[in-house]
Amino acid sequence: MNIRRNEGAIKWTLITLCAIFLAVFLILPLIYIVATSLRAGFQTYWKSITDEYAIKAAILTLEATAWAVVINTAFGVCAAWTLTKFQFRGKKTISTFIDLPVTVSPIIAGLIYVLTFGRQSFLFPILDRLGWQIIFAVPGIVLATVFVTFPFISREIIPALTAQGTDEEEAAAQMGASMFTIFRKVTFPHIKWALLYGVVLCAARAMGEFGAVSVLSGHLRGKTNTLPLYIELLYQGYDFTGAFAASSVLVIMSIVILALRVWLEKKGVKDLDVRK
Amino acid sequence: MSVDCERYYVELRRINKSFGTFQASRDVNLRIQRGRLVALLGASGSGKTTILRMIAGLETPDSGEILIDGKVVNDVPGSERGVGFVFQNYALFRYMTVYDNIAFGLRVKKKSKEYIDDRVHELLKLIGCAGLEKRYPSQLSGGQRQRVAFARALAPSPQLLLLDEPFAAIDAKIRLELRAWLREMITNLQITSIFVTHDQDEAIEVADEIIVTNGGGVEQVGTPRELYSHPETPYVARFIGSSTSVKEYWRFRFFKSLGDQTSAVVRPEYVKVFRKDENKKFAKSAEEGIVDDVIFRGDNLEIRVRIHDVVLSATRSINDPVVEVGEKVDVFVYRFLVVDGEKIILLDNSSLREESVVI
Ligand SMILES: Nc1ncnc2c1ncn2[C@@H]1O[C@H](COP(=O)(O)OP(=O)(O)OP(=O)(O)O)[C@@H](O)[C@H]1O
Ligand SMILES: [Mg+2]
Repeated sequence: MNIRRNEGAIKWTLITLCAIFLAVFLILPLIYIVATSLRAGFQTYWKSITDEYAIKAAILTLEATAWAVVINTAFGVCAAWTLTKFQFRGKKTISTFIDLPVTVSPIIAGLIYVLTFGRQSFLFPILDRLGWQIIFAVPGIVLATVFVTFPFISREIIPALTAQGTDEEEAAAQMGASMFTIFRKVTFPHIKWALLYGVVLCAARAMGEFGAVSVLSGHLRGKTNTLPLYIELLYQGYDFTGAFAASSVLVIMSIVILALRVWLEKKGVKDLDVRK
Repeated sequence: MSVDCERYYVELRRINKSFGTFQASRDVNLRIQRGRLVALLGASGSGKTTILRMIAGLETPDSGEILIDGKVVNDVPGSERGVGFVFQNYALFRYMTVYDNIAFGLRVKKKSKEYIDDRVHELLKLIGCAGLEKRYPSQLSGGQRQRVAFARALAPSPQLLLLDEPFAAIDAKIRLELRAWLREMITNLQITSIFVTHDQDEAIEVADEIIVTNGGGVEQVGTPRELYSHPETPYVARFIGSSTSVKEYWRFRFFKSLGDQTSAVVRPEYVKVFRKDENKKFAKSAEEGIVDDVIFRGDNLEIRVRIHDVVLSATRSINDPVVEVGEKVDVFVYRFLVVDGEKIILLDNSSLREESVVI
């Protein structure tokens, strides 16, 4: 009954608890990362982050992220459309499989691809003849990244598409609009914000992926090392300054994504208000 | 026959349609003349929307033929049938302005910019929404949305307009206004129109002709007057107007039984209630009943009167002498609609004939 009343004691205890929790588990470590990376002076920091291998790792990370976003956007839109606009048998199964990657440990995801495309696979001779190297190469890293971020975009769009129903599309089709026009003019505006939000989530997750990528990468410095792998490598080599410097780059990338997310949410809500 | 020679604009021949195991249309036959405003009237789930959607090409019949303007259009895509469709909940494009909504069909048809602009403004003026072109559907009132949906359907100049429950989502007062507006609009435009409704007052008031649907099939087609005075099936007899079922109608004086298996339906218009001291036309042939209830209906009174173990409804004018609950009154029934299997027989009070002879 009193749930909405501002019971001073309880309210402030809870707020304090949350704040302490966030501070201890999130903010302090982040500050610590930045502080440690700067401990040896800015010069050293700058040198660490402009290290040839660090830059290559950052570029590879961005590359894998871009692929993951593009592939999962295409797949996510198709899957969401299929699942919401058509009735067919096996719909539940498909829907469940889309979620599989988030429930499977990333390390297993990595191993799956090693088994599928690695030396012991029956596919290997074919790939070898074509000169396609997947395992321990960039394609493997992209595959792993796509796998772990698989459901992010489709899961964001599906609720938006479901809420919209099919009647607007039906009206457009009745007037003779093509599938493509219907998608572009009628459906897309409905899912635009959800899609962008999904892209942001997908990008954030893709940048940070360690487990699956680690299995498939082979850790070739400057070739198949993404930023998280590079950080791990430095850390194992007791180069704490370097590791924390590289981490700070990753943190900055995450903060950019976070800011984007907040902005999108605000903008999306405003836009939806007008056309609820 | 002369009727057969006339051109029917829309014709449905032996249409069947099932959704899974459920038969939504069974053997539907329809003919609609050019320029008519026709109502599809029936209870919820009776297959009205299904019929409309098949005409619009949004649904394909399992069997049977659909003809528009004399041509079989089963294999013609909906967008090429010259049909405008107003959806049950309008289905306006929420992310487009009123202007873009109305222009959509014209843009799809690749009309020139100037043509589109002229047409949209012409329609906006027609629906009385000039100046609202920059609004989004969520910024319109229910009535305005309905008008915009109407304009959007009309924009590509269809020959046939289909409206699915055009007034369902609008509150009662504005609904009356819109009905009159739509009727006038469609009459002026001379466009063949079919609208779906489950409100019989609406159908009777707006339509030239009514098609009564029941359980996926067509029960009867006729003008409102025909449906009222000559219902052909028991369903129509009970559905149109307010009616009371009377099992043993032969217990009423001057009505004889038309068979053991028959029962009857009676409408308030066929029942007259008089006070004992009133001057009345049918003094000799009236029977005594007891007033069960008197209900004030604004412009008239509904009198519920118990007679021969049934309660019949009748109306009395506000200006007539007052009758009280429990009062003994004289009741005269003009007519029963006798249900004989699937047929309806009109049975008039036999004293009507005799009295006119006597007088
Ligand atoms: N796509 C569909 N799949 C399965 N059943 C359907 C489908 N469309 C309609 N039906 C069924 O067909 C029957 C007739 O539906 P229809 O929509 O034509 O009724 P209606 O007369 O328009 O009813 P209302 O007045 O409630 O709109 C209903 O029982 C409905 O459940
Ligand atoms: Mg309907």
